[in-house]
Amino acid sequence: MGNRDDRAALQETAAFLAEYASLQLGCGSTCIRIEKNTRRMAEAFGMDLGIFIMPDNVTVSVWNGDRALAETAQRETAHCGISFDLNTRLSRLSWKVADNGLDLHSAAEHFERIKATKPTGKWEVLTLTSFANAAFCRLFGGDWFAMLIVFFSTLAGYRLKQIMLEDGRDVRLTFLCASFFSASISAGGHIFNIGSTPELALGTSVLYLIPGVPYINAVSDMIYRHYLCAFSRFFDAAVLTACLSAGLCAGMLMLGLKWF
Amino acid sequence: MMWNDIFVNIFEDGFFAAIAAIGFSSISNTPRRAYLTCALIAAIGHAIRYVLTLPELGGLHIIPASAAASFAIGLLAVLFASRIKCPAEVCFFPALLPMIPGMYAYRTIEAMLLCLYHTQEEAFSHYFYLFAFNGLTCAFIILGMVIGATIPIFLLKKLSFTATR
Repeated sequence: MGNRDDRAALQETAAFLAEYASLQLGCGSTCIRIEKNTRRMAEAFGMDLGIFIMPDNVTVSVWNGDRALAETAQRETAHCGISFDLNTRLSRLSWKVADNGLDLHSAAEHFERIKATKPTGKWEVLTLTSFANAAFCRLFGGDWFAMLIVFFSTLAGYRLKQIMLEDGRDVRLTFLCASFFSASISAGGHIFNIGSTPELALGTSVLYLIPGVPYINAVSDMIYRHYLCAFSRFFDAAVLTACLSAGLCAGMLMLGLKWF
Repeated sequence: MMWNDIFVNIFEDGFFAAIAAIGFSSISNTPRRAYLTCALIAAIGHAIRYVLTLPELGGLHIIPASAAASFAIGLLAVLFASRIKCPAEVCFFPALLPMIPGMYAYRTIEAMLLCLYHTQEEAFSHYFYLFAFNGLTCAFIILGMVIGATIPIFLLKKLSFTATR
């Protein structure tokens, strides 16, 4: 009877930790943080943990204290998009479990509430991103006209990206279309000779699409020897960079502009 | 360049990096309470890189300058993370993003496409050179940035992984 209870407890813990790790991987955490957080919680539940992180799924094994029983659970990586807010809340949950002695059921309830967290408002993101890309243009040496062009081309391109992603379109196609749209609008500065740095406006107008977080995560995973995840994140980011470059080139080609 | 101009440029560089960091934070759903910290860290980091690459002051190549600026960003992120109860990467990722060499990244892909487009040896070699130059520069800037920002996390491991405690 005791053995059966132990096994049930292990199964529930493994399932919870696998769900937790899959959401943390999906929201853009580095592998080292996922490992540390899940291990911290497993130890607080009085269990040993083994975790196997792959790009598309996470496998968690938990053992009881004397290592006589083990249970394994596997979950697909959550497709929730990068969210540092989720990352923060999940990390805090792991400390609540470790420091406040939260039991598995309370932790699971807490986890469900975290999963329901709303992302940042789309209009807020749209506005801030447009300002950010205009500021980026300035950092590259663009003048005020170039910044204005970049602001509006980002506004239009990012809105298209939001609409296409809401519609469930493929992320690569979305990147290609958004970059084509932004590049075509910002090419206006080049065609009508607006300002002194129209080529910078054209070049910067698509930079809001560069997937910076996966690039940084890839190197971080590589440092901690999670090579498969590092390669996966790097190639995902490289494919998206290729799509946005193709969109930019298509825009320039269509409007008859010369290459750099 | 006059010292006054240099100070204005440093301030301007930091200011626009801060705006860029807030915008890129919002794309990654960063908690709102972290916006100002990200902006401050980005401004300091970017200004450091600007100073280091300026011929009159540091005169460094962009790769070591980015690594040094990222080290400062990582250090500040670890120190500030526990104050806003966020993991260190929540602070330093948006601060690093304005330094991501986006121009080099897409020029690499663009040069690769042009390599395939041109069959003449001279043109092909030219675009292959651009592909290799931009690709290597981009890869080493990112590598230097991430290693630079990760060193403080290694050195201050206890502080880094207990920020959300």
